[in-house]
Amino acid sequence: MVLSQKIHEAFKGTVERITGPRTVSAFKEKGVLSVSEFIIAGDNLVSKCPTWSWESGEPSKRKPYLPPEKQYLITRNVPCLRRAASVEEEYEAAGGEVLLDNEDNDGWLATHGKPKEGKSTEEENLPSMENLEISKNNTVKLTPSYFGGEDEEDIPDMADFEESDNIIETDPATLQSTYLVAQEPEDDNILRTRTYDVSITYDKYYQTPRVWLTGYDESRMLLQPELVLEDVSQDHARKTVTIEDHPHLPGKHASVHPCRHGAVMKKIIDVLMSRGVEPEVDKYLFLFLKFVASVIPTIEYDYTMDFDLGSSSH
Amino acid sequence: MADTEQREGSILQFAPFQSAVDEGFWHKLSSLKLNKLGIDDSPIPITGFYAPCSHSKVSNHLTLLAESLPSESGEQSSTAHGNRNRCAIPGILYNTNTIESFHTLDRTSLLKEEAKKIWEDIHSGKAIEDSSVLSRFLLISFADLKKWTFHYWFAFPALVLDPPATLVDLRPASQWFSSEEAESVSAACNAWRNSSSTADVPFFFIDIDPNSHATIRHLKDWVTCQGDNHKLLFGFYDPCHLPNNPGWPLRNFLALICSRWDLTSVQFLCYRENRGFADIGSSLVGEAVIAVPQGWKDRQFIPNAVGWELNRGKLNRGKMVPRCISLAKSMDPNRLAESAA
Repeated sequence: MVLSQKIHEAFKGTVERITGPRTVSAFKEKGVLSVSEFIIAGDNLVSKCPTWSWESGEPSKRKPYLPPEKQYLITRNVPCLRRAASVEEEYEAAGGEVLLDNEDNDGWLATHGKPKEGKSTEEENLPSMENLEISKNNTVKLTPSYFGGEDEEDIPDMADFEESDNIIETDPATLQSTYLVAQEPEDDNILRTRTYDVSITYDKYYQTPRVWLTGYDESRMLLQPELVLEDVSQDHARKTVTIEDHPHLPGKHASVHPCRHGAVMKKIIDVLMSRGVEPEVDKYLFLFLKFVASVIPTIEYDYTMDFDLGSSSH
Repeated sequence: MADTEQREGSILQFAPFQSAVDEGFWHKLSSLKLNKLGIDDSPIPITGFYAPCSHSKVSNHLTLLAESLPSESGEQSSTAHGNRNRCAIPGILYNTNTIESFHTLDRTSLLKEEAKKIWEDIHSGKAIEDSSVLSRFLLISFADLKKWTFHYWFAFPALVLDPPATLVDLRPASQWFSSEEAESVSAACNAWRNSSSTADVPFFFIDIDPNSHATIRHLKDWVTCQGDNHKLLFGFYDPCHLPNNPGWPLRNFLALICSRWDLTSVQFLCYRENRGFADIGSSLVGEAVIAVPQGWKDRQFIPNAVGWELNRGKLNRGKMVPRCISLAKSMDPNRLAESAA
């Protein structure tokens, strides 16, 4: 962690301790959420997208201003079939527009405002599995299995302990060739995938939700947080996505830094209002997750809703 | 997929359960070991969590979280009941004090011991009252707290039907049900999943009346629902996403069905979801024929069991070896100091 980041964290922590949580709604004026609005929006997310649920987390880390059983939101085991970096390359190579437009110095909103919204159309735009070159898959497969501990010389070679009583292999009712993702396993080029646990906490300092990513590799072993950055839109990796301590979980996790969330949400809300859509605070997290999808475009978490953002024609 | 496709009359093959351990579990185990257990290596009851498959491309896992372990004050952590994404499954943890004792654990007899518990719960009827015990699991581990490295191995004990069940039919539920039935089954499943009293009950049966109206019922009502022209199917939360195989939990469910109710032909629903809602297109309906194995009426007889998890790591793909994870990066104070500098 760089020094400036640490100083900022210390400052932020102090401010959080001495100031009370927001109680007055400033959702439309500033794009921020009060604690009770966060709960309302979270309850709505959980009821519309049941793959999300509230968690109470580690008792010692509970925030007193949040209900004990509603400390943060999480959705587990979300597939991430491609690296965001390689998707962007292919998109450009295919002559498509660059995902982000920084002309007005406001890449985030530009991303969001692009007409290619909506899960299904986005999937159509993305290159199909068959087009993924093996070389690109290789970069995935060969990433250091850092957390796997295989680089630790002290760890005995597991093959030495390979068991002779392979009872499972002699059982005809056990399916032998399943992989985490075996959509269409063909010879050695089996598609296996990373998965993510995506969590949303309430950031009291910025008064917005904050997204955290815990990655798992193709064999469901923890992914080193640095490798998570491969699944972040390259314009955001290391700039707006940083690796920090999760407020409720142990270890370091990648997080979309919330410093501009309020401003971006305010702009989204303004656009909606200019189109005559009256934004409701319980839909905040759907808008928010849709915007976060521009940062982590290949992590297929659920935020769908029959809810019109307004058409792309202005 | 063609080579693994199940054909009529073939042996019913189940996709093995897969494990996933949250980093928090290892942190909690370390502090439990340091602050409470010391060298006590007696087995610890733990809780695993799973949910039906909710994405057409990935299976769900049996997941261990920090809350899976008992708290340091002794009582079992209170886990939110009725969380639809967390069906609690009982398990047991053997954490050894040395790497040698980890490797010399008698895995065959440990697996047998857990299989025996499942067998007894089937015969006592406990498995009908609380069906989660059918998916009971076993974890052996060695926590190297000097190197922040954890060696571990899961087993998901399954009672082996001998001869194995044969498959008569298996297809997407959307092709098996009429459209009225499909609609009613979806609605009934969604209601079951949305009610906090049933959301985490992973085994059940579906009762479809002659008017195509479906009701989901608890297993204990099975006997009273016989007769009167209803279609009855056994259902379970299927963590598996594969289009041609049911997931592991069906194995012990079939064992229960054939030893309790003497059925030789069983229709079952592998219940799967999409985005958290019943997905009749990816759910499967199958029909299996079971010959009640020799000795299964006798409670003293304990069937063979399988279920040690294969290591699917990059270097160990598909081998019968334990897994290992190093958390030095997040636990070693020296490394933490370095990365903070």
